[in-house]
Amino acid sequence: MTEFLSYAFVQRALISGVLLGVTCAVLGVFVLLRRMAFVGVGLSHAALGGVAVGVVLGVSPLLAGALFTSGVAWLIGWMGGRGEVSEDTAIGVFFPTAMALGVILMSFSPDYRQDLLGYLFGNILSVRSAEVLPLVGFCATALGLLAYWFKELLFMGVDEEAARAAGVPVTMLRYLLLTLIALTIVAAMRLVGIVLVSAFLVIPAATGQALARSLHGMLAVSVASAVAAVLGGLWLSWTWDLPSGAAIVMMSALMFFVAVVSGRGRGVPA
Amino acid sequence: MGDRSVPALEADDLSAGYRGSTVLDHVSFVVPQGAFAALIGPNGAGKSTLLRVLLGLVKPTSGSVRVFGEPVGAATGGIGYVPQRVVIPRGFPITVLDIVLMGRYGALGPGRRPGRADETAAREALASVQLADQIGRRFQDLSGGQQQRALIARALAGHPRLLLLDEPTAGLDTAARARFYALVCELRHARDMTLLSATHDLDVVSDHADQLILLNRTVHAVGEPSRVLESAAVGAAYPMPLGHVHGGEGV
Repeated sequence: MTEFLSYAFVQRALISGVLLGVTCAVLGVFVLLRRMAFVGVGLSHAALGGVAVGVVLGVSPLLAGALFTSGVAWLIGWMGGRGEVSEDTAIGVFFPTAMALGVILMSFSPDYRQDLLGYLFGNILSVRSAEVLPLVGFCATALGLLAYWFKELLFMGVDEEAARAAGVPVTMLRYLLLTLIALTIVAAMRLVGIVLVSAFLVIPAATGQALARSLHGMLAVSVASAVAAVLGGLWLSWTWDLPSGAAIVMMSALMFFVAVVSGRGRGVPA
Repeated sequence: MGDRSVPALEADDLSAGYRGSTVLDHVSFVVPQGAFAALIGPNGAGKSTLLRVLLGLVKPTSGSVRVFGEPVGAATGGIGYVPQRVVIPRGFPITVLDIVLMGRYGALGPGRRPGRADETAAREALASVQLADQIGRRFQDLSGGQQQRALIARALAGHPRLLLLDEPTAGLDTAARARFYALVCELRHARDMTLLSATHDLDVVSDHADQLILLNRTVHAVGEPSRVLESAAVGAAYPMPLGHVHGGEGV
């Protein structure tokens, strides 16, 4: 174990993984409350289109991914907010469209296919030193915003109309939540990959929900299970030479199933 | 508490709607302070839209509405709102206390956590709706009637002068509806509140309300319950015989 922790790339992976795990776990509470699990899946796949745009145009794939995915998130929010189509339908339209764009763009630059595969499945152990500080900055900002607006996001998730009537800036918060989800997905895709990142937004929070009897309990269990999944997943990946992103998600899923089985019956109405 | 002669609610030639379609057409009525006014009318009559105008969520296209003599935006702090229902995702651990504390969030503002005073107000509000012993339970584990009482407590926690209720007894059985309105009336007297409730419960409400407002795009009748229900206007507003209306079914 000591040897495992002595490598700089492992330390970088741990710091990045734990930070993103905590951010995803807190964000996940609102993803579950607002039934936005599908938004996470949709946006993570849309991110592929953004990465491809970056690769083809020769700009940073992460920057292009962040802008593109945020743009798709806002379009989903705008269409959902107008009430002409449901948020689900909007995601159902934009998710394959953005992904199709990514696939088409990929076909123009066959040399970069390998890079794109890296984004599809991620590699937390390849996080560079220069990437850690921006990630710390992003996670601190995201967690700060979630803490500042925590009770308003909660109110909005429970009863949007009453929240709006009480003066909560519901429209701004809807876009803030979508933007944070989009940016967290882009930040996390280098670590666990586009395919698996949406799991990170849902599974730890679902574990918290299965075990906790209160909101604070749910937050605490969500964060703890995300951190444990990152640590355990990295350890498994190191010990048995498994793909790191997949090992982290499997650890997270294992904790969820244990939580569901051990927490069964706790939520039964009296 | 200000001048008692100022009406709690005053709509003057109010029109409102969504994206070009008119839902409320030249609506005028007055609700005095301390009164219990029931807003009745068929589905699609504009009852919820009227409540949304009073909450400041829909802007009038013409006319005006005043709450305690003030334009809508200025008075929202004194308004409590009880929706038809609140649906929490299955298994989400929001407690009754979490829900009731939300009634304090508007005044707290962002970045501030509820303090001791907020929790005391929430506990008092829960006690007044006889749910003090349910404070730590998950909201979704309560019965339908208990959930509605918790939502009243949420509104009461903000110490409103005006309580707006949007079909609050939809989904409750007859006995639970009667208990609900008896409790609401008791609270009205105890807390000196004005009530406006959109409802289809004509039988129950006419026992408790001081005033019925019969709405179907525009106001067809306003006044004491017995007079409004006996008026010819009911037939014009409801597309079915009065007997059905009085039975409280199919409306």
